[in-house]
Amino acid sequence: MTRAPDVTREQRGQTKRMSVRLQCPGYPEDTLRSLADRLPCRDTQLETLLQLMGQPDQYSYPSIFIYGHRATGKSHVVLSVMKDLELPHASVDCVECVSSGLLFHQVLSAFFGPDAAALLPRCPSLSDFVRLYKQMSSNSPATQTRYIILDRAERLRDMDFSLLPALLRLQELVSDNVTVILLSEIVWEKFRPNTGCFEPLLFHFPDYSKAELVQILSWDHHPSYTPELYASYINILLGVFFSVCRDLRELRHLAVLNFSKFCEPLEKGEAKESDIHKLWKNIEPHLQRAMQTVYLREVSSVQWEQQQMDEEAATTLRVLSAHAHIELPYYSKFLLIAAYLASFNPARTDRRFFLKSHGKIRKTNFLKKHEKTSNHLLGPKPFPLDRMMAIFYSVVDSRVAPTASIFSQISSLVTLQLLSQVGHDDQLDSPKYKCSVSLDFILAISRTVGFDVVKYLYDFL
Amino acid sequence: TPRHATPSIPSRSAPARKPGNVLEEARTRLHVSSIPESLPCREQEFQDIYNFVESKVIDGTGGCMYISGVPGTGKTATVHEVIRSLQQSAEQDEIPHFHFIEINGMKMTDPHQAYVQILQKLTDQKATPDHAAALLEKRFGAPAPKKETTVLLVDELDLLWTRKQNVMYNLFDWPTRRNARLVVLTIANTMDLPERIMINRVASRLGLTRMSFQPYTFKQLQQIITSRLNRLKAFEEDALQLVSRKVAALSGDARRCLDICRRATEICEHSGSQKNGSGLVGMSHVMEALDEMFSSSYIAAIRCASVQEQLFLRAVIAEFRRLGLEEATFQQVFVQHQALCRVEGLQPVSVSEGLAVCQRLGSCRLLLLEGSRLDLFLRIRLNVSQDDVLYALKAD
Repeated sequence: MTRAPDVTREQRGQTKRMSVRLQCPGYPEDTLRSLADRLPCRDTQLETLLQLMGQPDQYSYPSIFIYGHRATGKSHVVLSVMKDLELPHASVDCVECVSSGLLFHQVLSAFFGPDAAALLPRCPSLSDFVRLYKQMSSNSPATQTRYIILDRAERLRDMDFSLLPALLRLQELVSDNVTVILLSEIVWEKFRPNTGCFEPLLFHFPDYSKAELVQILSWDHHPSYTPELYASYINILLGVFFSVCRDLRELRHLAVLNFSKFCEPLEKGEAKESDIHKLWKNIEPHLQRAMQTVYLREVSSVQWEQQQMDEEAATTLRVLSAHAHIELPYYSKFLLIAAYLASFNPARTDRRFFLKSHGKIRKTNFLKKHEKTSNHLLGPKPFPLDRMMAIFYSVVDSRVAPTASIFSQISSLVTLQLLSQVGHDDQLDSPKYKCSVSLDFILAISRTVGFDVVKYLYDFL
Repeated sequence: TPRHATPSIPSRSAPARKPGNVLEEARTRLHVSSIPESLPCREQEFQDIYNFVESKVIDGTGGCMYISGVPGTGKTATVHEVIRSLQQSAEQDEIPHFHFIEINGMKMTDPHQAYVQILQKLTDQKATPDHAAALLEKRFGAPAPKKETTVLLVDELDLLWTRKQNVMYNLFDWPTRRNARLVVLTIANTMDLPERIMINRVASRLGLTRMSFQPYTFKQLQQIITSRLNRLKAFEEDALQLVSRKVAALSGDARRCLDICRRATEICEHSGSQKNGSGLVGMSHVMEALDEMFSSSYIAAIRCASVQEQLFLRAVIAEFRRLGLEEATFQQVFVQHQALCRVEGLQPVSVSEGLAVCQRLGSCRLLLLEGSRLDLFLRIRLNVSQDDVLYALKAD
């Protein structure tokens, strides 16, 4: 159960935070103060970062590796430090750099202008980059430390194998006052190349605690209501969502979406701002429903907002996963059912299910041990085409000729990704398939043709 | 490419220094680059190659010869000596004049560059590989009455291998033409190279004129060093014998032998400054040089490793013993490592530290590791024998 909000606690936190005084020589003090105000709950990280950077003209550590979960403010802190203190920096997102050439281009144009980057040859190698960088930095030597910020640095491992080790000791290579800051969600152990490299300084950004999340989220309160009301709203929201989600961005998005519903009783005059309990009773089921729909993106945010306007019940909306119904031809449905039965039943039970005059076979006696566990837990098993056709003829009541259209329907089921072919070694001679649809899907299909799948499934015997 | 991006060898500003004392003199004479006028212990091979080339030059015909032998047995030096003495006799008009060309497979970026280099050395023409091949084909195929014989030396033949083997095929096919007057001498390391990598029509054109250079015996090595030193008294007899016996037992590589002797003179010089001995290179100096050259550095590396690294190696061996396999995942080894830490009374390390230790050992190749992305599941194997590790760990 969610609990009623406690407003006083985060207010105490706020006052405590204001008293922190950042001290770092070489940087303007008022900028630092405004920076610290703009980065709530990241005081220690900010202070450590500034200490690592040192004064602008001092040599900093060659490479700093910053890691932490998604939305813990890694790039936000680093980039706002760079922007506010007006330090020379190049910020590169490694996802955008499909080749190392783009990375070099962005770094050179950020430091020395687009003319320098234009000097790079068409497919620049690492040595081209180092040579050009050296040439440019000898023309305009660094008066301040230059920073290269590489966001989502895990992509660097997939690029040229010498790129990451070279970037880690770039300061040494170009003999210039340059520091490379790598940002990633993955720990450093998964980066280290097998041949060894210069070890960067590891720096962890911890997750926000619940109190910190409350403090940050109450930051952007609605102007027409009091901050206390918004803070209590955030408390209710976190009470519902904190157990499943600690992502600040996601929570913020949910807070914006559902705030209008929270304020509805106030606008209608049914409740006052002080009746937190009433407001909580009103919003809580709504938030629970949001967790199942809008949080999983089954309903888009626009639909959710519209629905709140129209006062329509949320369940009437057809969610995305309910759309998983495909119109198929008659025999394709049976083919799919046959494939599903072949995939999830052990082959030795086929006699019992699909032959008319089978003997009385008990479930437990004749199966191997691994076949006794539920096949639905182990996933679909591959089956040959012959077996599937045999089951198909057994489940279809009428006489079906094995025409070209039947076989082309099998291959179109493969293209629709309802079946998947296993082992691409043989296309024509006894291909093997797997059925890749869920039980719900096959139940819906079999209902349309009036066939009871569950009766034929070994797991549900 | 920009001009400052091309590498170059720095030029020497001052002339090379004259050797000051006996040891320095010995060192310059023992240098691999100072090849003597006549190679000792290769008289038979010299005579064979000489006769082969001389007969072809006098008859005006062509032919191929395949020379093999392990590195450092004097193949290239002998062929060069043959050519030198043939050129001398050609100057004295004892045999007809001939043209000598040398190419080296190692110096080419691509096997097809061989055509370009041959053409350039023959006619000072520059051409693309295809064009050069066509020009050479015309030159060796067409009859020309006053053509002089060409002797072509192909060093490091195995690097001229291509998938269709057309470079090798052409090299061996040209000498069989009636008007080609081409003698091809090919050098490679392995004796069975024609059988191993050449297709039949290439191997048959190479012919059966083969010569293999045997590794030097210890007597021959001793003779080579004495002939190089040329009555310079720098070594004790026993020391020389030790070097030559050791090298002959391992590889029979003359270059290795000379290197060890040079190193021994350096060691002698350093130790001579402290206590004045006989001034000769003695047994102890040679022993030290041999140790430096032949002993494996792995054991030294394990001995100098940190406490946790040594502990990790012990954990690896303990895990191998437990599993009865020569391979284990990091997870399994790490459990052993932590247990060992507790037994030794050390603070157990964290997974990150353990992985860092493991990867440091992997980067100096004491361990063989998979990619670091697998973290807990990366498989570990030892790159040294378990006995070596145990010996290195036990000694301290």
